[in-house]
Amino acid sequence: MKRRLWRPLGVATTLATILTLLQLTAVSVDGQGQRTAWGDPNLEGIWLDVYDTPFERASELGGRELATPEERAARDQARMINPGRNERSGLAARDVAGAYNAVYTSAKPAGPWTSLVVDPPNGNIPALTVEAKERADVKRDWRLMLLRNTETCEEAAPGCSGGNYGPPSPRRFDVAPFYNTSRMNRHDGPEDQSLGDRCMRGITPDFRGFRRIVQGDDSIAIGYDSGQGQGYQRVVNLSGDHPPNQVRLRHGDSRGRWEGDTLVIETTNFSAKFTFRDSGENRKLTERYMRIDGDTLAYEVTIEDSTVWTGPWTIRQELKRQSNMENRIYYEPRCHEGNYGLPALLIGARLDERAYMEGRGPDPFSLDTATCVTGLVDEQ
Amino acid sequence: MGKVFKGSTVLTALAAAAAGAIISATVTGTASQPQGPPDRSAETPDGHPNFNGVWQALNEAHWDLEAHEARSGMVEQQGVYPFEFAKVPAAPVVALGAAGGVPGSIGVVEGAGRIPYTPEALQIKQENAANWIDRDPELKCYLPGIPRAMYMPYPFQIAQSTNKIHMTFGFSNAARVIHLDDVTGPPDYTFMGHSVGRWEGNTLVVTVDYFNGKTWLDRAGNFHSEALELTERFTPLSPDAIWYEVTLTDPNTFTEPWSIAMPLYRRLEPGATVLDYPCMEFAEEFMYGHLRRNQLVKRWEGETLIVDITRKIPEGDALHDWYRR
Repeated sequence: MKRRLWRPLGVATTLATILTLLQLTAVSVDGQGQRTAWGDPNLEGIWLDVYDTPFERASELGGRELATPEERAARDQARMINPGRNERSGLAARDVAGAYNAVYTSAKPAGPWTSLVVDPPNGNIPALTVEAKERADVKRDWRLMLLRNTETCEEAAPGCSGGNYGPPSPRRFDVAPFYNTSRMNRHDGPEDQSLGDRCMRGITPDFRGFRRIVQGDDSIAIGYDSGQGQGYQRVVNLSGDHPPNQVRLRHGDSRGRWEGDTLVIETTNFSAKFTFRDSGENRKLTERYMRIDGDTLAYEVTIEDSTVWTGPWTIRQELKRQSNMENRIYYEPRCHEGNYGLPALLIGARLDERAYMEGRGPDPFSLDTATCVTGLVDEQ
Repeated sequence: MGKVFKGSTVLTALAAAAAGAIISATVTGTASQPQGPPDRSAETPDGHPNFNGVWQALNEAHWDLEAHEARSGMVEQQGVYPFEFAKVPAAPVVALGAAGGVPGSIGVVEGAGRIPYTPEALQIKQENAANWIDRDPELKCYLPGIPRAMYMPYPFQIAQSTNKIHMTFGFSNAARVIHLDDVTGPPDYTFMGHSVGRWEGNTLVVTVDYFNGKTWLDRAGNFHSEALELTERFTPLSPDAIWYEVTLTDPNTFTEPWSIAMPLYRRLEPGATVLDYPCMEFAEEFMYGHLRRNQLVKRWEGETLIVDITRKIPEGDALHDWYRR
């Protein structure tokens, strides 16, 4: 794999527009040595990618990695004028479904790069394998089947893209023909909900939120704040081997080593139940962390799963040190402890069914309770 | 005679071991000997006890901090006799047989061995114990809190740096960070508390506060309020054992501060690691099963789970075959 370490520094650092409630300034920390007491490069701290960067690169940009100042300003402007879930439709149900508008979501300024994906060089994830496409088709067809009697399909809204309006499907009570991890327009039990609804959305790798690194001499702990109180903990062991193949873990088993001043982490033994872009038990990650300066970490991860993608692909980020003193990382993910949403959603589904059976309400399958009508789904 | 015999036994064993090693190498090509834990110095380069590694308590504190006799089941009911000491397992654990009981313990509470509850709090504790299945946050896979996470029957891993000590727990993917440097407290009360540590000689002393009062101390219903403050002391007994002491102060719940103490042991086996125990998904049936469209457990009556236990005597069981004649 071609390793083009690491981006040159000196890219524009002026934050033209502050779109976020987060304080994005990198903070120098006195006493944060370049090396640990035992001589390894010191990676400890709270780290964040302070920029918003498209996951994949727009095709017209070709192989160009850096955005122009004009392109960044245009991205910021486009986001500011996009109403998103603030859009009002005149339909109460749709507007209520638009909860979590911009008030609830922080946004970062457009960054200097054109994509997080840096390899393949076109900045796009390699094509899916034939088998992965077939699996994706099965899942899409299943979700569309459950939506077909809803207003979303009747109006050909984005959430029904690729589907048709029609009567409720006779398959609507079947067991899903795949292990479900995303929201669907049915709520028979927890398995019909997304991992996010079940407070299990934190998936490795994660690029979105804070990472807190605490560094021991033979293990490195990384606490992730991946949003919605669904962060998680990883331990990178610097010795030993992966556990036996039958041991499968939500975040895999991570083994790290130092290659010069770069921490290289290999992670395998992933569980089939917690997928990253539909990659489950065959996922393999190779991550690299390297200090660029006292306040900047270079991070790179190569993702391989030959059952999903036709080749490996690589994400690159620069992480900025956040204030240790302010200690703002949400290091106690407690979505599950406060998850009134999941039982309330199931209770609501049971009440809707009862009302329908008693002739007091519509067929639940004529209601879109999955895509917020807008087509926005709870993506993992 | 004995000496000669002993010597020849050793020689025989050595010869057998050598032959076994050759055979093993021939068959597998990867003859390996058990290996100890990675080399680890007793002290970190900055002169403190080296707590890096995988640790676990080995006692009955997770059942009940106080001294207690063995119990027939995690939940019990009155048996033939009316005596408190003659209870039998209740339905939820009957099918587990001897694996469903509770081992006895001399307890880990220092001094008088009893937790000094206020009268009101003692009543709540007793109600907690009587309603264990409904009330214990552990059964819902909630964050276990401190100190409970330290002596649950799951390992935890310590990553120790100069400024922070991170503990990752197998149960519920929980964690705590002990800040040895200067940080502000969290903006809200927490399950796992806010831990600030300092070294006093060889002892790591940690104060913990900012608790939300929603965690328990064990499976016996012992509890605390949001006023809980802890002082923990981690003192090395050897490179592989820590003497762990905790003083609990909570005037809402206890009449005076009280302490527990126990050893924590290093997991020495090769490859020891903390495997995440993903209990959140395991607890979903327990928490939400009654809300399914088609319930998997057939005896939910409203919000009450009615446990029916069907136990079949397996064919070939000699005692029962004899009894059936």
